[in-house]
Amino acid sequence: MPVGLPMNERLLLGIALAVTITGLCWLALSLDAHWRQVRGPQRLKPANVKLLRALGAAALALSLGICLRVDHPSMASLVWVMALAASAMIVAFTLSWRPRWLAPLVIWIRPG
Amino acid sequence: MFSSFRHSMTWLHTWFGLVLGYVLVVVFFFGSLSVFDREIDRWAIPSSRFEAQPMPSFDRLLEPAFRSILPDEAEYEAADALVTQPLPPREQLEPEEWWAYTTHRDPVLGIGAGFGLPHPKDPEAHNHVHGSMTIDPRSGKVIPSDQLALGSGFFYPLHYSLHIEWLGLGYWIVGLAALVMLAALVSGVVMHRKVFRELFRFRPQKRTQRSALDLHNLTGIVALPFHFMFALSGLVIFSGIYLPVADTMLKPLHDAHEKEEEAQTGLPHDAAGVPAKLVSVDAMVAEAQRRWAARDMAGDVGFLVVNHVDDANLTVSVYRAGTDRIASVGEGVHFKGTTGEVLHEDPPQTQVSSVNEFVTGLHLQHFKHWLLRWFYFVGGLAGCACIATGFIFFVEKRKRQHAASGAGGSRWVDALAVATVTGMVVATLAMLVANRLLSEDLAGRDGWEKTAFWGTWLLAFFHAALRTTPMREARRSPAWSEQCALIAVLAVCAVLLNWISTGDHLLRTIGAGYWPVAGIDLTLLVGAVMAALTARRLWSSTPRQIAIDARGAAYE
Repeated sequence: MPVGLPMNERLLLGIALAVTITGLCWLALSLDAHWRQVRGPQRLKPANVKLLRALGAAALALSLGICLRVDHPSMASLVWVMALAASAMIVAFTLSWRPRWLAPLVIWIRPG
Repeated sequence: MFSSFRHSMTWLHTWFGLVLGYVLVVVFFFGSLSVFDREIDRWAIPSSRFEAQPMPSFDRLLEPAFRSILPDEAEYEAADALVTQPLPPREQLEPEEWWAYTTHRDPVLGIGAGFGLPHPKDPEAHNHVHGSMTIDPRSGKVIPSDQLALGSGFFYPLHYSLHIEWLGLGYWIVGLAALVMLAALVSGVVMHRKVFRELFRFRPQKRTQRSALDLHNLTGIVALPFHFMFALSGLVIFSGIYLPVADTMLKPLHDAHEKEEEAQTGLPHDAAGVPAKLVSVDAMVAEAQRRWAARDMAGDVGFLVVNHVDDANLTVSVYRAGTDRIASVGEGVHFKGTTGEVLHEDPPQTQVSSVNEFVTGLHLQHFKHWLLRWFYFVGGLAGCACIATGFIFFVEKRKRQHAASGAGGSRWVDALAVATVTGMVVATLAMLVANRLLSEDLAGRDGWEKTAFWGTWLLAFFHAALRTTPMREARRSPAWSEQCALIAVLAVCAVLLNWISTGDHLLRTIGAGYWPVAGIDLTLLVGAVMAALTARRLWSSTPRQIAIDARGAAYE
């Protein structure tokens, strides 16, 4: 990113983007079709579906919080909405071409 | 007429989307380029490749520059019809107002003047001619106006007016397209139903019809808030054109409001007719900046207006640049020009005006936030991808049936899709190449650049139309891959020509941290790689794709 923001603000925005992507990955993996792309035939327990969705929602809330820390609220709201759009495309394309890359995000869920 | 609500929405989405999709994809693409309009200007006008500058000193630099502005020649000649006596020579018309506008991305400064017409036929009318110029704010030197600013002077107006000036028709077509965009988004969601369950679904290995629909849904849904807000805010920005109530139905109210405003702010609406002298404007700017800082909004000057020049009712308005928030300019502080005292300070905004400021500001994006700027660029291109895949889906769904019956519908849709999607990119790149190839002192250079753009676009359309023959057998038109290959070649040429003609290669621009030009070169190279990969995939996958498509068709 070109110059403009102090270093720590750029870092915070980078973290916000990473958190958004992670959150959307969890939301995607709570869907059966994408779960199977990443973990094969192992079934996802209903309790884990709920957990993944809760984690995803929490991550998105966290990223909004970080955006609000960096910018004026009017700007932060736009940054967050656009980060969601960009991240959703990144997650979708990763699932199309490299789904296994998402496996580390759910490594702690044991096969059920 | 329709058996269900969803059916009617599908009809609406398909046909309105198809017809106005051709307009929308142009609006989206050039809107995306307009996110970086100033940077494209720097690329296209190498003499302006220096760091952005703040508003320069009025007393030392701006005032002499303002005094040297002449009325626009065409406007001056047209004004002859508005007056009862012959106009004084162009150099002797008296200026009535001056303005200067800058943002945190402008190395050069745009300034302008308005001139009153003596002896008007209709004293109630506007009776003004205007003049403007661009100066180097470091020296006050005038930048010759014969070089076309490709970004802010060509791609940006193309985004909102399509360069159709006749009767202002371009604005209306774009406005209608924006309205249809809103309807297409809503009807698209109604048709789609499984919004969350299929949100992340894109299956490139499936047959074209399926994968195109996946990508259409994906880009349409994830960027939906962006697309909705931008279509809506675009309409809000031009609402004065679409619903000109201030000049028609509500004219008395509008005029009464102006009088009321004058009474409240103490800013005289009319000139006094008595000559007077302007005191130091730099001192007024310093006072405005002190007041912003006191409100915890320290900032730079974005917009400076002088009204009733050389008259006893002189006023100077200083507006803060909306660099750090979603606003163009604001927090105006207004001064009496003959004494320098503050007449009025804009009060904190009402709810309504702050909503308006947010909605228009988010679209006009004068803020300083490079991440958000890139997000907008990507969001706009996602819109292009959404519309392009909509065309492809339309064609894929019908091409076998049309091939069998000999109907030409899907062939025409496909040819127009190639011409608007890839042809538009080819034309843009041809313009960049022409910009670097044409000699800087060529007379009418800007005309040649425009010819390169429109001519290439027309050729791209003919190419697309001539290459649809394979579609008679329900095969893919080779025009897609050929124009993708051309995009890759032209994009690389543009980067190389920039290097050859200016010496600014990527190692130098990145090394110097000069991102306006480095960013454009890098984007061109990334675009070239993507176009080359697409072309290769289209070529190599043709036999395999035919097999998959045929199996899919048989399965149905």
